[in-house]
Amino acid sequence: MEPLVDVKDLVKYYPVYSRGILTRKVIGQVHAVDHVSLEVNHGETVGLVGESGCGKTTTGKLILNLETPTSGKVYFDGAPVIQTLTKGTKEEKLKLRRSMQMVFQNPYSSLDPRMTVFDIISEPFRVHKNIPTSEYKDRLYELLSLVGLEPYHAERYPHEFSGGQRQRICIARALAVDPKFIVADEPVSSLDVSVRAQILNLIMDLQKRLGISYLYISHDLSSVRQISKRVLVMYLGEIVESALTSELFDHPIHPYTKALMSAVPIPDPKRKMKIILLPGEVPSPVNPPSGCRFHPRCEYATSKCSEEIPEMVQIDSDHFVSCHYFEKFL
Amino acid sequence: MGLAKYVARRLIYMIPLILGISLVSFLVMYSAGDPITIATMGNPMITETEKQFLRHYYGLDLPIPVQYFRWLTNFLTGNFGNSIYGNKPVNQLIASLSWETVKLQLVSIIISFLIAIPAGIYAAVKQRSATDYTVSSISIMGISLPVFFTAVVFILVFSYDLGWFPSAGAHGAPTLWPVFGIRNPILDEIAHLVLPALVLTLASVAYNVRLLRAGMLEVLRQDYIMAAKASGIQERTILYKYALKNAITPLLTLLGLSIGGAIGGAPMTETVFSWPGLGYQFVLAAGRLDFPVVMGITMLITIFILLANLITDLAYAWVDPRVTIE
Repeated sequence: MEPLVDVKDLVKYYPVYSRGILTRKVIGQVHAVDHVSLEVNHGETVGLVGESGCGKTTTGKLILNLETPTSGKVYFDGAPVIQTLTKGTKEEKLKLRRSMQMVFQNPYSSLDPRMTVFDIISEPFRVHKNIPTSEYKDRLYELLSLVGLEPYHAERYPHEFSGGQRQRICIARALAVDPKFIVADEPVSSLDVSVRAQILNLIMDLQKRLGISYLYISHDLSSVRQISKRVLVMYLGEIVESALTSELFDHPIHPYTKALMSAVPIPDPKRKMKIILLPGEVPSPVNPPSGCRFHPRCEYATSKCSEEIPEMVQIDSDHFVSCHYFEKFL
Repeated sequence: MGLAKYVARRLIYMIPLILGISLVSFLVMYSAGDPITIATMGNPMITETEKQFLRHYYGLDLPIPVQYFRWLTNFLTGNFGNSIYGNKPVNQLIASLSWETVKLQLVSIIISFLIAIPAGIYAAVKQRSATDYTVSSISIMGISLPVFFTAVVFILVFSYDLGWFPSAGAHGAPTLWPVFGIRNPILDEIAHLVLPALVLTLASVAYNVRLLRAGMLEVLRQDYIMAAKASGIQERTILYKYALKNAITPLLTLLGLSIGGAIGGAPMTETVFSWPGLGYQFVLAAGRLDFPVVMGITMLITIFILLANLITDLAYAWVDPRVTIE
């Protein structure tokens, strides 16, 4: 079956300007997202993990064309997303917007402080006119109860809610258009641990009930493990490994994935963990390292790694890795 | 209920504030010197006895506390006393001058906001573009150039060299100013307004633009703008309905304060253009220690600014649900 979301060779470079007073010159480019390809199937959750600043959020925003990609293509149900959203008719644009939504990382900045919950959640109705005006209230209450909020919350303003409740409001707003696909950008990272589990359960529950597909972006590996069917690992704007969740957690191949996995705490005090410490810092995405971007921090790196860009290799039906020496780690 | 109570409380709090400001202004006035000496300076014919008589006439020979209480009782009954120059009641003086001042101020405030809102939005949206740099540079220039300098340059260029607009006053004297050869009282008034209003606008528009630009940049980074975009709302609507609504609050404060301060006029601009307004009158009166006039205008400005503050606070609570009236 054709994937629901098909991302091909997505690239986003941000120009870096010189600090001139009168003139400005482009002196470099931040390679935020570099040739990222991924697929999300119907009703599936795909995890996207990586360190801060590796391009996860940008990837999510590019898929929804909230940022304009430098190059690359995104297909949703076979339709070209970027082309439709920039050049399509108003009807086509709205139809696509209805299909894909996003839940943002920070629930404190993702709700307009001047609007009541009613206005926030019913705004999509007014834009899309997908339901008659008389049903706004009923649909709103339905959405509120779906995300575990009460009808009386509708008249309140965002500042009257806790972080977890705000994230529920954000989810309700995303659901208002009956999307088939939601980019969940670290939806729980700014929440308390106890609230996290509730929101994660809500996200999984909604998938069961409504059949929504997610791209779940996070740096929190334990939540990714809990929620995703497949996981993609990103490093400095590139995807270095992708596999089914259990496969990736049990048999990571790429040295970076191995290091990442070793950092996941295991709830067993007797089991000795071997933590792989990566030397140095994440290099600047302005001048990413040549060859394999991970080579300056990789203990197995050879001269080949600094010269040749590794190809993505398929090692199993669902397991891909981009490393010159993957055979060594099998 | 809460609102009326709040307003009443705020109004009551103003009383000690007004009294305090009046006392300080009075003391500063008094310590600045003797108005009679200044008034009679350069007049060799006047004798010390006559000076004493004048001081007694204006009550300047009484102890300061007594003088203050005399002024205060008069002030509370709405009587600001008479000007030392011309013996005209201060009330009348203020009444006759305020319109010219308020007219000039309101025109410049309105123009300033009409320019600042689109310019501020544009500069924020096109951040780091040539337009942004142009708007920002002009803003910095407007902030940096003193009014007395721009006013003189404008007079030299537009009045002296080009002869487009009159250089002084609010009305044509002795004849009306010809606008495209037509002598009409309204056109004459507008022609007189152009240069001083332009100078004032140039000075204030810069602050407004920069304030709005900063506010817009802050708001446009917020995720709810992204969320609005993801909802399929058009870019223009997002900008004006969502972003501007959140970014404009600081500007609203500034608007409240400038309207409150408008009654005080722009002393410098009014002086350069010999504008028959309160600002010019204030500078004149302060120079010759005409204390009833200085005190009268000071109290008027005080009351207006305090009221404007109150109205701004109320407006804040009205536009921003996070602000509650306590």
